[in-house]
Amino acid sequence: MPGSDDRAGFDRRRFLKRGLFGGTLLVLGGALPFVFRTTRRGSRPRRPLRLLSPDEYAVFAAVAARIVPGDGADARWPRAEALDCAGKVDALMATTHPDVGHDFRRLLRLVESGFLGTFTAGSPRPFTRATAAEQDARLGAWRRSRLAILRSGYQALKRLADAAYYSSPEIYALCGYPGPPVVPELPAGTP
Amino acid sequence: MSAAGRIVTGAEIPDLSSVEVDFVVVGSGAGGSTAAAVLAAAGARVVVLEEGGHYTRRDFNMQESWAYPALYQEHGNRATDDLAILILQGRSVGGGTTVNWTSSFRTPERTLALWAARHGVRGLDAATLAPHFAAAEQRLDVGVGDPDDVNNNNRKLQEGAAKLGWRPELIHRSVKGCARLGYCGMGCPLDAKRTSRTTYLADAIAAGADVYSDCRAKLVETDRGRARAVVADVLDRASDRPRGRFVAYARRGIVLAGGAINTPALLLRSKAGTDSGQVGRRTFLHPTVPIVAFYDQPIEAFYGPPQSVSVHHFADRGERVGYFLETAPVHPMLAALAFPGFGDTHRKIVERLAFAQSTIALLIDGHHDDEGGVVEVNGDGRIKLGYPLHASLREAAVAAIADMARLQLAAGAREVMTLHETPLVIRSEADLGAIAAAPFGPNLHTMFSAHQMGGAAMGEDPARSVVDSRGRHHQLENLWIADGSVFPTSLGVNPQLSIYALARLFATEIAKPG
Repeated sequence: MPGSDDRAGFDRRRFLKRGLFGGTLLVLGGALPFVFRTTRRGSRPRRPLRLLSPDEYAVFAAVAARIVPGDGADARWPRAEALDCAGKVDALMATTHPDVGHDFRRLLRLVESGFLGTFTAGSPRPFTRATAAEQDARLGAWRRSRLAILRSGYQALKRLADAAYYSSPEIYALCGYPGPPVVPELPAGTP
Repeated sequence: MSAAGRIVTGAEIPDLSSVEVDFVVVGSGAGGSTAAAVLAAAGARVVVLEEGGHYTRRDFNMQESWAYPALYQEHGNRATDDLAILILQGRSVGGGTTVNWTSSFRTPERTLALWAARHGVRGLDAATLAPHFAAAEQRLDVGVGDPDDVNNNNRKLQEGAAKLGWRPELIHRSVKGCARLGYCGMGCPLDAKRTSRTTYLADAIAAGADVYSDCRAKLVETDRGRARAVVADVLDRASDRPRGRFVAYARRGIVLAGGAINTPALLLRSKAGTDSGQVGRRTFLHPTVPIVAFYDQPIEAFYGPPQSVSVHHFADRGERVGYFLETAPVHPMLAALAFPGFGDTHRKIVERLAFAQSTIALLIDGHHDDEGGVVEVNGDGRIKLGYPLHASLREAAVAAIADMARLQLAAGAREVMTLHETPLVIRSEADLGAIAAAPFGPNLHTMFSAHQMGGAAMGEDPARSVVDSRGRHHQLENLWIADGSVFPTSLGVNPQLSIYALARLFATEIAKPG
């Protein structure tokens, strides 16, 4: 059979032609086949997963817990898990182009990688097994990296987590947002 | 007169079904609806294919969690390939008009002059367009700027600009009976916003056109220099996955109006009419740079008309890229995406939401040496948009951030926060110098685009453009493009009214016999 190196070469060229989501960064994600062997699965999904594997779900849930404020200093803010951030993102990403979903899963593989953790923030543990401070340091390193592709990866994670969290009515009052107003009644018979 | 048509949703379309009509129109936004209305009124049999779902005012619940996935391209996740610019682009029956912020401008004469002088556009001046603008303004109930539309968010832009002599203007809006709720970007629950769905598309349906929603145009089929059919995937609304195939055959012609990015992508995917090498090139975004100003008193920028004031003082900066200033609403999700940082740092910004004013600078790309972005399609049909941040755009962005900060301080802001990943806090003129020193580049500062233009430019030179100055494709004689993708540069103003007027002009020509 054709060598797996050939297929890897093809994949690599294909990814190099694309941006992130699709991107060159994600080539690395595909080169880390054993990364989930040590993943710590935290909370269980509330509903059947549509895109992510349980390990991938666990990685995004761990990322979301640091991105949104629920694990922070103010206990009034609900945790990401309480608002099912990872479940909402799984459902959303399942409706995107299959390539986008594939890239998202590769990105999560990369996040979990202790290899990249060492490279970016000196933290060799899988993301799901790192301390909160280590996780923040890794996200912060991606956020301000000189490598544009790492900044792109950070933005993908941040936007998905924030979108799932801050679109939840449970946080409206905490933001100082009273919510949508009452819509005036239209005359009967209005189409 | 034809019997009225109707809106057929994807769930009603049998797999492998087809229709044959005079004109197939792809897209139901400003361009497609107007073209369909003009052609149907002229007696042609018309179908409109729309990728998005069919929603009405009763569906518009003013919740971001529903609105962005349902009403925006790629469920609200469209972006440049490096994710540096979030692209807000509509996707439903009504297209971008379902979610735009109602701002209505005629195409600036200096932009039309630039197209004539540098891009080979002929016969497209203000006088030619005037009757089409007038008709569109009447149909869309575009009124003169109303001072009562100015919410606190816009008032701060107005006051600051006035103090600095930067000539704020009231924006003309496409509304009738507006209750000033502030949710234009999530679909108007009162239908007070005049969208293409409630105006030109309704006219087209009344004149016999049928609209097929949930139909994503996949390929344009051609035969010996003519476009003959559009092949569409029928989407399952829940999963957004193809559940069937639908073909619309065109006896007379095809009008593409899926919007910038999608229209060039459709041609590229079809390998149809791409000989010039220009399809997908020169895609413009009005790359938009926001700042946030914090006040001691509540601004509540989530309520009231999102845009009612604009400042065009910096639109013409000579050899440098110009920009214009407007505002953006600050509902929790959209604001949280724009605010930098994460965790508690981010939370402390979000907690001040009610006191936040948001000013935005829209960079007028394509008028200088910047070539805009490039749309490409991969083997699986996925769209990729590359958009390099040319040095001239970075210069304009940095200048605009300083000008916006200066403006908000003049309006009385306690402080201004830039949206660099490491934000700057500006409390006085003395702090402004830090802006030029801060790193600016992809994903180092929040940027978005609500105006997508270009990618299938019009012009008379087939080597430098895709369609002629009346929207007809240079290689495919019975294919026209009637959306924002034909603009050879960005406009320098919000684009919806220009698209309506241009589509009306083009469709009037298309409808002529012979």
